[in-house]
Amino acid sequence: MQAITQSEIERLRQRIRAIEARAPKPARRVASEDRHVGTRPANGNAPFAIQGTVCDTPFGQFLRQEHTHPNEALHGSARIETLQGVSANWLEDISNGEARAADPRRWAFLDTETTGLAGGTGTCAFLVGIGSIEASGFRVRLFFMRDFDEEQAMLHGVAECLASHDALVTYNGSSFDIPLLETRYRLKRQSSPFDRLGHVDLLHAARRVWSERMRNCKLGTLESEILGVQRTGDVPGALIPQRYFEYLRSGNAAGLREVFHHNVVDIVSLACLSAVLMPAYSNPGEAALRHGQDLLGLARWLRNQGNHESALELYRKAIHAGLPASGLFPGLWESAQIERRLGNHEAQLQLLQDLARVANAYRADAFVELAKYFEHRVKDYERALEMTRNAQSHAPSAQLDHRERRLLRKAGRAPMHLVEPSSSAHRAVSALGSVA
Amino acid sequence: MTQASIALERSVRIENGLGPVKAPIPARDNSVGGLVARFESIQRKPNSPIRAIHRVPPREARYAELPETVDPRLKRALAAKGIERLYLHQARSWERIAAGENAVIVTPTASGKTLCYNLPVLNAIAAEPSTCALYLFPTKALAVDQLEEFNALGDALGPDVRAFTYDGDTPSDARRAIRRRANVVLSNPDMLHSGVLPHHTRWARYFENLRYIVIDELHAYRGVFGSHLANVLRRLKRVAAFYGSEPRIICCSATIANPLELAENLVEERFTLVDDNGAPSGERYFVFYNPPVVNQQLGIRRSYINEARRMAQTFLERGRQTLVFANNRLATEVLTRYLKESCGRQPGGEAAVRGYRGGYLPGERREIERQLRDREILGVVSTNALELGIDIGSLDAVVLAGYPGSFASTWQRTGRAGRRRDASISVLVASSAPLDQYIVEHPEYFFEGSPEHAHINPDNLEILVNHLKCAAFELPIQEGETFGPHATGELCGFLEETGVVHRAGGAWHWTSESYPADAISLRKVTSDNFVVVDISNDSKVIGEVAFPAALTTLHEKAIYMHDGRLFHVERFAYEERKAYVKRVECGYYTDAIEHAQVEALEGFDDQTQGMAVANHGEIRITRRVVGFKKIRFYTNENVGDGKLSMPEQEMHTTAFWLQFPMDYIAALPYSTDEKRDGLLGLGTVLRTVGTVLLMCDPRDLSISTSSAQGGPEALLNPELYLYDNFPGGIGQSEPLFRMRDRLGAQALELLEACPCKAGCPSCIGAPGEVGDKAKEVAQVLAKALTALADTDRVAA
Repeated sequence: MQAITQSEIERLRQRIRAIEARAPKPARRVASEDRHVGTRPANGNAPFAIQGTVCDTPFGQFLRQEHTHPNEALHGSARIETLQGVSANWLEDISNGEARAADPRRWAFLDTETTGLAGGTGTCAFLVGIGSIEASGFRVRLFFMRDFDEEQAMLHGVAECLASHDALVTYNGSSFDIPLLETRYRLKRQSSPFDRLGHVDLLHAARRVWSERMRNCKLGTLESEILGVQRTGDVPGALIPQRYFEYLRSGNAAGLREVFHHNVVDIVSLACLSAVLMPAYSNPGEAALRHGQDLLGLARWLRNQGNHESALELYRKAIHAGLPASGLFPGLWESAQIERRLGNHEAQLQLLQDLARVANAYRADAFVELAKYFEHRVKDYERALEMTRNAQSHAPSAQLDHRERRLLRKAGRAPMHLVEPSSSAHRAVSALGSVA
Repeated sequence: MTQASIALERSVRIENGLGPVKAPIPARDNSVGGLVARFESIQRKPNSPIRAIHRVPPREARYAELPETVDPRLKRALAAKGIERLYLHQARSWERIAAGENAVIVTPTASGKTLCYNLPVLNAIAAEPSTCALYLFPTKALAVDQLEEFNALGDALGPDVRAFTYDGDTPSDARRAIRRRANVVLSNPDMLHSGVLPHHTRWARYFENLRYIVIDELHAYRGVFGSHLANVLRRLKRVAAFYGSEPRIICCSATIANPLELAENLVEERFTLVDDNGAPSGERYFVFYNPPVVNQQLGIRRSYINEARRMAQTFLERGRQTLVFANNRLATEVLTRYLKESCGRQPGGEAAVRGYRGGYLPGERREIERQLRDREILGVVSTNALELGIDIGSLDAVVLAGYPGSFASTWQRTGRAGRRRDASISVLVASSAPLDQYIVEHPEYFFEGSPEHAHINPDNLEILVNHLKCAAFELPIQEGETFGPHATGELCGFLEETGVVHRAGGAWHWTSESYPADAISLRKVTSDNFVVVDISNDSKVIGEVAFPAALTTLHEKAIYMHDGRLFHVERFAYEERKAYVKRVECGYYTDAIEHAQVEALEGFDDQTQGMAVANHGEIRITRRVVGFKKIRFYTNENVGDGKLSMPEQEMHTTAFWLQFPMDYIAALPYSTDEKRDGLLGLGTVLRTVGTVLLMCDPRDLSISTSSAQGGPEALLNPELYLYDNFPGGIGQSEPLFRMRDRLGAQALELLEACPCKAGCPSCIGAPGEVGDKAKEVAQVLAKALTALADTDRVAA
């Protein structure tokens, strides 16, 4: 065995010091006097700044903390009590049947705090929070490892808790928290508790409804905009890994109080947002969404599901509720397309004419659709010609030129001998086919 | 081609004794033997351009029986390919691997090397379908190529045997399926380092069943790249052990001086060498050709590009499938164009010749490879891209336009010529560069010398520490654990001081938000590249160019060449990483003019060293393309130039440098040019010695004087830099600084021991590259570095 000599290490140290002296780093490091290297922070003489129960497992100890939000409490403007109205089948509706219905008392609202966002085997969840709806209110259990040697015990605690749940609700959990925890279980050679649980990642549903209106769909943005939560005594998510590293090195857990608080607020917000968002998916007609853009998002989801009637109803509601130009014209255009699919040609005509009237991104397309409508459905070639020329004035194309020539012939304005009767008839039929 | 240049071409042909191309050639002359006879007759003439004809006698095949234990399905598949027996080396490697040993297989190009590893791996899969293997190749293209080869045999075991390439090009939805289902993953060290190991839990099934690791093109892993790979393998073995696997390792190498040593250093396990090549080969000839001098006074030789073209054409006209290697992109394209033009009148015409470079799109490259194998095309002009083991079959002739720079590379390229039964021929056409001239005029130096040694230094502290960080990220480092041969305690303690690990429960855990593999690049290449868009008709992507080369080849008004066709660069969109080009026909190509400057940023330490001061620290190298020249095809006349304002390219790296006192240099009794040559000559020697002391690859260490433009200002600042040719540096400078006494002393020893008079490639560089007095000056300067210097000065 070769050992790196002390002098080599010393040289490396000097070099790294020289490099670091040149590149100013944010003050991330704890001053060296505060360090208790190698001692287990929780075993120090200083009182541990985090309250909780030390739990024993076959794999050692971890710390557990609990918070209960009683039914009568408010979270921002949301009442905790509304969680009592959560319905078992909401899971199915919002996930298109991927997650099966489950008793709301057996839902686990889960969120983790980690040592980074990089992913991979070197990122670790040091705090796992699980929220559950109980008769008296909403209960959050926090599972915390006081040092790396408590990870396995903590994971064991989480698995035990999840054993009494049937479904998982997370925010971005499908791409972050769950794979990360699965990696941790794998590294500890424990089986993953997630395989048997249905999973709803609320982020996807939230994006569909709110991405138009909100500057982003981060949980923090939505909780403040939708639930009216104003956080106090919180720590920005980006600083959390550093807080944990500082604690590990100093043994002083004071900086972690805000981290625990952050996790609890996240989980309560997740539950309250679920209570707002899930019923909108289960019963879109009755969705308690006031903003046109939110309704538009839901309408599009329904359209993509192939649920055209309900989608159309929501498009109408959305337009009625008021949409900015960025939503209004796409909304009109999309409804026109659905009306056409459903064979409501009058309604389609109305929408297309609305779109053709004012400047917008769909104007030329609307004229083309109108031209098709007049050519094939009404057989009014003069109007079809007019619409084609309107379209051309906005977005000329060879295809439109072709349409114009055909319409000129049909309208009897071009010499007929240029027309091959069979092929033009065939084209007309096939064009009709595409309309119908 | 102008009338004048045609006339010139013709006169050149006659003068050279190869005869006009158009002359009718008797049928019997078309064989390689006939050609050789002709070369021999030319060689006997005085001042012949043929400097050597080296013959390698034919070799009979040596077979061994197919082992009993080979699965019957594989036996049938082999029989279907006409393989009833194995070559000796294939059978030997089978035995070694079956005995549970690691094997390193060294046989020439096209000797059936892949079967040496595919057969044992497939047989293991046949016996136990869950078996997994990892194949590592230095390039993505090789992995793609070898996948086909693997499947050709693997299909015999049915659809459940699954092999996939896994690299940066693999779409993310395919990755999941590969992790779940693959038996064999064909990848590269970079992907293993940053894409696989840091996510090993996703690969749990694969690692649990990992039985074999194949490292093909072992010789490519020299210097820094090799040192990195050795550390990546330490990590790989560590992760495999976590899943209870201890894979056997099979390496394949081209001819280098120390394959066994390289394999053992790289893998840090015992290996058995298999080098009894049983593959047959026909007679082979290697001809050294030095283009004749056209201007005796100035010593100007005929253009080696034109001569290489003529040589290649001689082969092509005789129906001999020929591969031409050029040493850079530009020469490759110019040669492609010349050969296409001169083949235009023959059957097959221009289409019979194609260019080949890394910058062509993968689809086009695959097509060219297939056309070569199927003999649909007669000639290909390539960069070193075809040097590695891409399967293109064997050819009749290889023309090297310029010396490839190393023994190993030269043998590798000539190995592309070689039929099983018939004779084949390779020709080296020397350029006027000093190294080329030295080699071609001293054939014995080449034919009797031994190939280069491949060195790595996995214990380079900076490389080691960086990989130890990755290792800690992948799995906590247990107290008492070793990393390669190293105890990790001290190093982990050091890492804890820098805050990236934390000790708990008898192990060191990664405690940083960063992803350490992202901070380490295993080689110099960046993945950043420019796309070339042809806007002649519709927009169409025709090629890609790696970042640094793009600045010199895709600047505005450049002529970009692709498969011999010319394109004018209309717009160079730096931010978009695109160049828009239009098809043109013009009589010239362009060559960019680049300026480089070295500037010391910060010294970490300095000490007097004889007369000079030795330093080590950080430097900045600034390169900028400042203009371009228009060069006429065939005549190489400069027919115009242009100025360019291109973004500067900066590289920060670490360097070891020597400062000579200005007055001392001024007082030396030599001319300014002689002093500069001497200083650079000393640099060349120091680099050679440094390479040996550091056990690194010469390519990883560069030299520069304080002004790389070499103007007189170089002597106002007589500084000599030896720097890490690697962004950020790789820690070679600090050990050089520590070994400065030995460095100086050994440099002087080397200079004094070298029997040459005024320089040779073994010391300061070939004559012609450096002035007559360069060796003398270098010796004076080397003495000045040693303690003897002061007494000498007094004596003087």
